This record gives sequence, C-alpha cells and structure tokens, in this order.
Amino acid sequence: MKRATKILSTAILTVLSLSAQASDDAAHLHQLYQENCASCHGADHGGYLAPALNADTLKGRSPTALRSLIMTGSFDTLMPPFYGKLSDDDIRGLVKHLQSTPKQPNPAWTMEDMKKSMQVYVQDESTLPSKPTYDIDSMDNIIGVAARGKYGRGAGSKAVFINSSTHKEIGEVPTGTAAHIIEFNPANPRWAYVKTDTAEIFKIDLYSMKAVRSIKTGMNGPGIGVSRDGKYIMAGSFVPHNAVILNADTLEPLKTFELEGVDPDGKMVSSDSGMIIGTPFADVFAIALENAGQVWVVDLKDGFPVTKITDVGRHLHDAFLTHGGQKLMIASYDDSIVTAIDLKERKIIKKLPAGCVPHVGGGSAVKVDGRTLGFGTNFGDCDKTVVSVWDLDKMELVKQVPVSGGTESPAAHANAPYVAVDIISKDKRARTIQLIDKKSLEVAKTLDVGGHAYFPEYSADGKFLYVSAGYNGDEVAVYNSSTFEKVASIGMESPAGIFSRGRVKYMTRGLSPDEMKGAK
Amino acid sequence: MKRLVLFLAAFLLSESSYAANLFAGQAKVEAVCSQCHGLKKSSADAPFPRLFERDFAYLQMALQQYRDKTRKSDIMNAVAGLLSDEDIDNIAAYYDNIHPASK
Repeated sequence: MKRATKILSTAILTVLSLSAQASDDAAHLHQLYQENCASCHGADHGGYLAPALNADTLKGRSPTALRSLIMTGSFDTLMPPFYGKLSDDDIRGLVKHLQSTPKQPNPAWTMEDMKKSMQVYVQDESTLPSKPTYDIDSMDNIIGVAARGKYGRGAGSKAVFINSSTHKEIGEVPTGTAAHIIEFNPANPRWAYVKTDTAEIFKIDLYSMKAVRSIKTGMNGPGIGVSRDGKYIMAGSFVPHNAVILNADTLEPLKTFELEGVDPDGKMVSSDSGMIIGTPFADVFAIALENAGQVWVVDLKDGFPVTKITDVGRHLHDAFLTHGGQKLMIASYDDSIVTAIDLKERKIIKKLPAGCVPHVGGGSAVKVDGRTLGFGTNFGDCDKTVVSVWDLDKMELVKQVPVSGGTESPAAHANAPYVAVDIISKDKRARTIQLIDKKSLEVAKTLDVGGHAYFPEYSADGKFLYVSAGYNGDEVAVYNSSTFEKVASIGMESPAGIFSRGRVKYMTRGLSPDEMKGAK
Repeated sequence: MKRLVLFLAAFLLSESSYAANLFAGQAKVEAVCSQCHGLKKSSADAPFPRLFERDFAYLQMALQQYRDKTRKSDIMNAVAGLLSDEDIDNIAAYYDNIHPASK
C-alpha cells in the first residue's frame, strides 16, 4: 500500500509538473507571438497588415514549410528572417502554437487601460524651444516618413523627419514598433502625431524633434485623424473594435466608441476601424466602420454625438476629401466602388465605379481645364489594372487609366505635371512608380526606384517627388518632379508612408491652398 | 569585318574575365543577400553581420569558403552553394563599394 501510494504520488507529481511545463510553454509562446509577430499579424491572430495566423488559416500547412518561412522570411513581403533571432526550438514551438491557436475573441482595451498606458516624456512643455532648433524656411517643408524597421519593431522603427527643400534629415523619433501614419496639427505647426501598428500615438514636438507624450489606444490599427481646430484626435483600431477621441494637447482619452452596426447585407457585425479624417469643412470627424460598411460622423461638441450613414459599401477602407472638405470619397474593397458622401447633408451622394479593390491611399485631386479630377488607386492585382479618374463636380467616372499593376497611393501637386502612382504587384513591377499626365490622363513615364517602391509624395512646393524604396530598398529616394533626375537618397529601414506637412494646407494632395479658403 | 569580330570577341572575353560588375552584384545582392544583410546595411535589429564595411578579398574568401563548406553554417552553406565564381566576385565588389556614409 505504502509503495502504491508512493508510485501514485510520483505519478501525480509527474503529471503536475508536466502540465505546469506545458502551460509555461504556452505562456512563453504566446509572449513570443506578441513580441515578434502580433504587430503585423494581429494581436488576436486574426491578421492585420499580414495574414491571419491561427488554427483555421494554417490548417493543413506543412510545419516544415512554415518553419523555413519563419527562418528565411518572405522575400517579396515585409516578412523578415527570424533565423538567428529566435532559437530553432522557439520557431518549432511557434509553428505548433500557431497551428493550434484559434483566432482570439475581440479583447478589451478600456478607457482605464488607455489612461494607464500614458507616458509623459516632457513634463513641462514650456521648457521646449519656442522655434525650430534647425534651419527651415517654412514648417510646411517638413516631410515625415514612417520607417517600419525590418522587424516591424526595435531600433529601426521610427518617424524620420526631412527638410524637403534640402533633402536632409532634421530629426527622428523612435517609436518602438513600426510607425504607420504621421498627422500634423493644422492649427499649430509644432505638433505632429505618429501612430504605430500597435496603436500607440506619440505627440511629437517638431521644433525639438522629441516625443513629449504617448498613449496606447488599442492593440493594432492605423486609423488617426486630427480636428481642424487642432484640439482633438480620433483614433481607431482593428484590434479591438473600438475608437477613441483624445485631447490633442494632453492625449487624454475623452470618449470611446464600440464599432458595431448592421452591414449592407443586414447582418449585425463588430467592425474594424477604417480611415478617420478631420475636415476643414466642420468640427467633425468621419470614421469608416470597415466591416459594417458604415461611415459615422462625430460632432465635436458635448457628448460627441454620432450620425450614422449606413450601406456605404462592403468593406470600407480609406478616403479623401474634396470641395472644401464637404465631400468625402471613400473606398469600398469588396464591391469595387468609391462612395461619395456629403458631410453637410450626411448622406450618400453617389456610388462611383472604381477598379479592383479600390485603395485610394491619401487620394489625389487636381484642377484641370476647369474640372476637379479625383484619382483613385486600386490594390487588386486583377487582369485589368487601372487608376480611376472621376469628375468630382459632376461625380462621374471620366476614365480608367491603364497602369502596369496594382496601386496603393496616388500623389499629386498643383505645381507638378504628373500624378504619381505606386505599382505594388509582387514582381519587378514593385520597383516602379508610374506617372500619369494630368492633361492626357495617360501614363507618360515609368520610374525605376528599386526596392518595393511605394507611397509617393510631393514636397510642399511640388518641385520634388519623394518615394519610399520600401523593404529591400531601405532608402527614401528623391526626384526632381519635372526631369525625374534622382537628387537625393535618405537611408532608413523599410520606409513606408510619406507625409508632407503641406497636406494640412491643401487638404487633399494636388489641390491648391486657395481651395481651402472658402472652407474656413 | 573580321577585325570587328575579333575586337568584339576580345572585348567580351576581357569583360567576362575582368571579374566584378557592380550592377550584376547589386542584382545578385537584391535577390540573394539583402533579405538578411540588407542592400546597404543590415537591420539595427538583425542578428546578421554587416557586410558593407568588409573589403573585397575578405568577402570573396568567406563566400568561397561557405560554398566549399570549409566554413560551416547551415544557412550560408546552402545560400553560397548556389553562387558561381562570378556571382561571388560581383557580390563582394558590390558590398566593398558601399560606404557607411551612404547609410
């Protein structure tokens, strides 16, 4: 009996220690996932910039193939090589973990969580310099680049600021994880806001090139907008499905919004946040509920009341403004349309045909021969790849301009002859930018930039075109915007979005600053 | 005509025997090396050695040794195993020509 007890207790101990080890393993692998994968693949395993990694999506995939993909990375994408960075045991463990973990339920990230995440780097803002600590003619000449860093986090992840008349770097702010969007305060040229892929927002003092505060508004998601008076920020997340209005000065959260609603097919859904935009037209934010196909207009007054515009499209994403900011053009992926919304009437004007999987980036609009033409890029890599051109006064399609591949973001400037679009199809075409002549509406030139060239942006004066050579290019290339001679190269890891402060002046890239006068 | 052919042949011969071509090197680096070592410098967060500060002779020797497996590394033996002498020279010349100042 005694012996039996001993055996039994040994057995129990063994089982106990085994299960303790198993849960340690699970906790370790969960942590590895959050620290290395989640910023791109989604904190809930549901995908974000990169594919969803869970038991469902990885079902039937060879563990050996997944292991070597993690080791070597994937050349035509942002996926970096983890060989030497994670141990072989960890990589094998991760593969097993991913293939057995279901997509996680929408996590909570409350107002309290946000408040607790606040970091104050400069306690007393009156200690900051009262003018730029570097030579610059106008703050509008500042161009910010979201440098992702090879691993989407770490020392390579930062917002890099460049003087676009000298093409010299004037400062950089480390962001911990990949910087995604840079917004400028329209009312005060000293403040910029950077949002990362892990949903932190940094308030940046452009005069001293320092972060003064940060707050974590969610787990993943790039959505951020600034109100026309520079007093409010609205931010939205993919994980969890929420949005928040912050005080732009202190970054303090003021109100959160649960993003859910009835989609165009009558189904109640919880939704990712798409674009968020402040407009020079009114004291409002517009936010896209991607999966619910709704645009909400939030009034910046007591209680932040919401007007819901439903049935806008199936899977909304990004948008741009026109007509003094009264009209919003929003891309809808799944039905290949761009929907025009009147922000005054708060209703749909018209659904316009686009190409396949419209992704308008920051959008572009130019005045040509008395007409205001809007340019919309298309993400999809289907047989017929085009850039859509609409007459924004009549709200009708003018032309589908054939281009050599899928496109992600158009750039235009009132003083530059071409609208630049980035070809993102995953082969040699990804090295190129195509230039559409504003007048003839045809591709006039193809520029071989190298790397994965994307996110073109003009300098505030329109004289230079900035392009991210992206992953495997590791530089921002600068061209003369009429001769296309390369005039400068600014090195950084995996540069992505490029944001000119000039944007606050011309609202949508390509319009003249005069366009805004009527609005204010 | 005969002279022209001879001249061309001599030109082509000298071109191929005159080792390194920076453009071919860059193309090879983009396709084979840059994923880990970077086109110019490696990632600040990567565990991979930087190559841009190395000189031609060192890079050439290292790649030959990896290819011939006299220097052991699973991943480098596999990668360098696919390179020709000419590839190795071109790659070595490319990285040798990248200076830290170009970032």
